[in-house]
Amino acid sequence: MKGKKFYTGIASALLASSIALTGCSFSSGDESASESSGDAVTVDVFQFKVEFKEQFEELVSMYEEENPDVNINVKTVGGGNDYGAALKTSFSSGEEPDIFNIGGPTDVQQYEKYLADLSDTKAAEAALDGTLTSVKKDGQILGLPYNQEGYGLLYNKKVFEEAGINPDEIKTMDDLESAVKKLDSNKKELGIKAPFAFPAKEKWVIGNHLANAYIAEEFNHSVMDAYEADTIKFEMADQMKRFLDLQNDYSIQPTLSLDYSQQVEEYFSLGKVAMIQQGNWVYNTIASMDEEFAQNNVGLLPIPVEGYEGIPVGVPNYWVVNKESEDEVVQASKEFLDWMYTSETGKKFVTEKFKFIPAYEGYEDLEIADPISQEIYEYVKAEKTLGWVFLGAPIGWTEDAFGVAVQEYIAGKITWEEVLEQSRKAWEQSRK
Amino acid sequence: MHNRNIWFWLFLTPVILGLGLVVVVPFIYGFIFSFTDWNGITATKFVGLQHYINLFQEDEFMASIWFTVKFAIITVILLNIMGLGLALLVTRNIKTNNLLRTVFFMPNLIGGLILGFIWQFIFVSVFEDIGMLLGVESLTGWLSTTSTGFWGLVILTAWQMAGYIMIIYIAYLENIPKDLIEAAKIDGANGFQRFKNITFPLVAPAFTVSMFLTLSMAFKIYDQNLSLTNGGPFNSTQMVAMEIVRTAFSDQQMAFAQAKAVIFFFIVAVIALTQVYYNKKREVEM
Repeated sequence: MKGKKFYTGIASALLASSIALTGCSFSSGDESASESSGDAVTVDVFQFKVEFKEQFEELVSMYEEENPDVNINVKTVGGGNDYGAALKTSFSSGEEPDIFNIGGPTDVQQYEKYLADLSDTKAAEAALDGTLTSVKKDGQILGLPYNQEGYGLLYNKKVFEEAGINPDEIKTMDDLESAVKKLDSNKKELGIKAPFAFPAKEKWVIGNHLANAYIAEEFNHSVMDAYEADTIKFEMADQMKRFLDLQNDYSIQPTLSLDYSQQVEEYFSLGKVAMIQQGNWVYNTIASMDEEFAQNNVGLLPIPVEGYEGIPVGVPNYWVVNKESEDEVVQASKEFLDWMYTSETGKKFVTEKFKFIPAYEGYEDLEIADPISQEIYEYVKAEKTLGWVFLGAPIGWTEDAFGVAVQEYIAGKITWEEVLEQSRKAWEQSRK
Repeated sequence: MHNRNIWFWLFLTPVILGLGLVVVVPFIYGFIFSFTDWNGITATKFVGLQHYINLFQEDEFMASIWFTVKFAIITVILLNIMGLGLALLVTRNIKTNNLLRTVFFMPNLIGGLILGFIWQFIFVSVFEDIGMLLGVESLTGWLSTTSTGFWGLVILTAWQMAGYIMIIYIAYLENIPKDLIEAAKIDGANGFQRFKNITFPLVAPAFTVSMFLTLSMAFKIYDQNLSLTNGGPFNSTQMVAMEIVRTAFSDQQMAFAQAKAVIFFFIVAVIALTQVYYNKKREVEM
């Protein structure tokens, strides 16, 4: 008797809830039906660059006005790791976006079966040399570059001037070292706390950017070479050590608890240090602290690497189109991306509002918005660049192998030789 | 208990369904995935116990377990002492009783992430400045070494959770019959004797609850860890939860991380349940 009641109970409960659930799905079905009325194509964009979310949505609504039959939904999830996780979730839950973002060759491999060939787009044709290497596969072009980014040593022009240092004369490590020493011995008069703010807490600053400057050559400046390499030789290990020690020794201490926001906001923007190793992405942050300083007072020095006088420049992200979507959606997605990067309105928006360093041809007559990006673009035009090879390193290697080892080195737990040894082993391990 | 008719189940449905869909089903899925090569999108083959064998050989995971255990032991002891201490303080007849209760409980209302950032500022900047001013070497350079990172986390957690534990103790302290205390007083027991022989045994159930809460919380801590030290320096202040997230999302080894999570689940479950079992036995029935 009791058992019977139990089962009827469960059964009725399930029945009730299934009715409730179907109710839900019906109502949501209605919504999407009304959205796509009037033969409109709906494109779902899932993108990760939080910094330009508003501007991007503005551009999207402009496009929708010009093309009333296309409906674009933008969803933004911020920050490297979160985006990767959220993207995976949306794929495994079946809500696959039509346009999304991927980083390097590792992502290409992971999402390969979803990536549509974009070689017939105008944007792919206009993409600058070398910006497509990591998304080319079997003659197909699977992604379109977002923009270009570059980094070096950002310096405070006023402090340099007061110290009597001419940035144009800093060409080699020796020059940099003597400049740093000069800054250090006059730091009281210059009103700075130290020449550098080196955020050793941020493993990506070490593992991605610092390392890249000195390992780019051995991989021929190519992400793909790094991606296919079985080992890493650290041919420029001595220079790397010298540059690392220089930054670390002449930084505000202790470096191991110094983070990105302290480095950029608290110390550099407020003129407490003379130099930081960062890239054009910090412009908006500096501007939010001190607009005038960001506009007029920030210069860019190349990281001294023997045989080079350039800036490591690369493409941090790519737009890709999901080929599992319906044909017309794929077509509409391609058209939208084309419009964004090759139409007059789009181009203007890309440079002025997004403040991108364009990765495409046809931007010669347009003004780049911020001074750091301008300087980097000058290097790009003069072809004085180094590659971004760190995107081709084994997953997690830059931060959890090399970055951690360098932190241990800074803490005095291991020697530089052990850093190289550990990192090499980790690289070989994951490429076996 | 005997009224389990249709209505009983009908009203229970939303909860059962919710719990089932967001806890039970994902848990079972996760358990299954830990035996495969699942990469977050698809699982192609069954690898058996391979992940479980590998994880015991991984130094980083073992180090994070060890770090978490140390952290748990210290915080559980500290939190219970502080919680009980604060509770005893605010159950005496002081005028500012209610104000104090509110103040002590307040840190618990701030989210762990934000707390982490606030304390990061205190440890890194405020401590530094005070240390410089007073010439105390040990106050400078906080969070840049493993031990300061560890104690930073302990201080943060104790500060945040002590108020919550206090509330639990208050509830039990106020339920102690006044006549028992009075009788002891008449018999000539002094303050310490009254605490040891009457108050302490009677708040034993609060211990069970608080120990369980603090233990499971100390093991599962993540957001404070993330915003305060982010595992640094050199991943040496990385708790198990953070290690698992890293394995899953920065090393992209979803199935391996899942296996770690299963092991983690068993560790926490075993410790917490044994603890409850033993504490229950000690409780005094009134």
